[in-house]
Amino acid sequence: MTDYIARRSLDQYLFIPQLFQGFPEIKEALISNRVQAGFLVAPLAVALRSQGVPIKIVFLGHRYGSAAVVKKGGSVKTVADLKGKTVAIPSRFSDERLLLLRALEHHGVRAADVRIVEMPPPDVAAALASNAIDGFVMGEPFPSQAEMGGYGSVLFHAREYWPDYMSCVLVVREDVIQRRPQAVQVLVDGIARSGLWLDSGQSEREYAAEFVGRYYYNQSPSLLKWALTKPLDRVRFNPLLPRRDDFELVTRLMLENKLIDKPIAFEEYVDLRFAEGAASETAWDYPVGAGRLDPEKADD
Amino acid sequence: MRSLHLKRTMSPRKLAAALTLWVLTLTVLHVSLNVRWDSVVNEWRPESERKLNVAYIPVT
Repeated sequence: MTDYIARRSLDQYLFIPQLFQGFPEIKEALISNRVQAGFLVAPLAVALRSQGVPIKIVFLGHRYGSAAVVKKGGSVKTVADLKGKTVAIPSRFSDERLLLLRALEHHGVRAADVRIVEMPPPDVAAALASNAIDGFVMGEPFPSQAEMGGYGSVLFHAREYWPDYMSCVLVVREDVIQRRPQAVQVLVDGIARSGLWLDSGQSEREYAAEFVGRYYYNQSPSLLKWALTKPLDRVRFNPLLPRRDDFELVTRLMLENKLIDKPIAFEEYVDLRFAEGAASETAWDYPVGAGRLDPEKADD
Repeated sequence: MRSLHLKRTMSPRKLAAALTLWVLTLTVLHVSLNVRWDSVVNEWRPESERKLNVAYIPVT
């Protein structure tokens, strides 16, 4: 969602967006310097940093946009019903896993009583449809995909158990931060402007669903439209500044769940200067209208 | 029987040409469909001018 306008931020294209199908692959690509920046789930980014991988979190990708989905009309009606069931998550190091654990704890269900399995996000809707799993906790548009398909229903949205929930964060390799800070700032500025533009209203979101579905995600625009508008705050793109409180909650939950073995300071894994530099950015001046679906022809 | 007859009558030269054409077709299709040329060209640039590869997955 955030890459399209960011790559058009300069006269010459400065970024090459690379589509991956899972977070472990992005992790490997970052470590091997095949990609210099990328979107990772927040706990994975923190864990990588704590293991010495030279990356820093510079911005968020979005807030909310994750939900638990179960079989429509199935036996799971409440979180407590998940006891003994199989639930898919994108990664052991994902906010979705921490979200599920928070919901289970809230309802007095032990994590050990639920079979939690890792699964690439694009596979979960089909796995639910075929009864291979009883539910999943994932980022959009996969909850919407199950809802639209008629076989899934949302058990809970992230906001119900985690106010100001954040999922994907933008990480950049430290050598790039040191050598090319202007390029990183352009990327963060572009994402900030995209977020403000997306939060402008329903028509912007519907338009974004059209071009992102067609040109980037290879997904049905109607699916993305559902994910971005039902309801309008299902996914939010502000505020995207990495906040200390949010990350301290994540690291506390990571420690409790043994995803990291010792506390890690906020400054160790976050570089705030780019988010602060983007604080005065405004939404793209990009009116929505018919016949504007070619990103190559769009105006800045 | 007809196909056996055809096989016997195809010259080695024609067979080699057909095979070469087939391999060339697959190669051209592979190179045009599966190779990210913008990434390949990017690798040839000096580091200071190199574009940044930004990874994302198809979630929000």
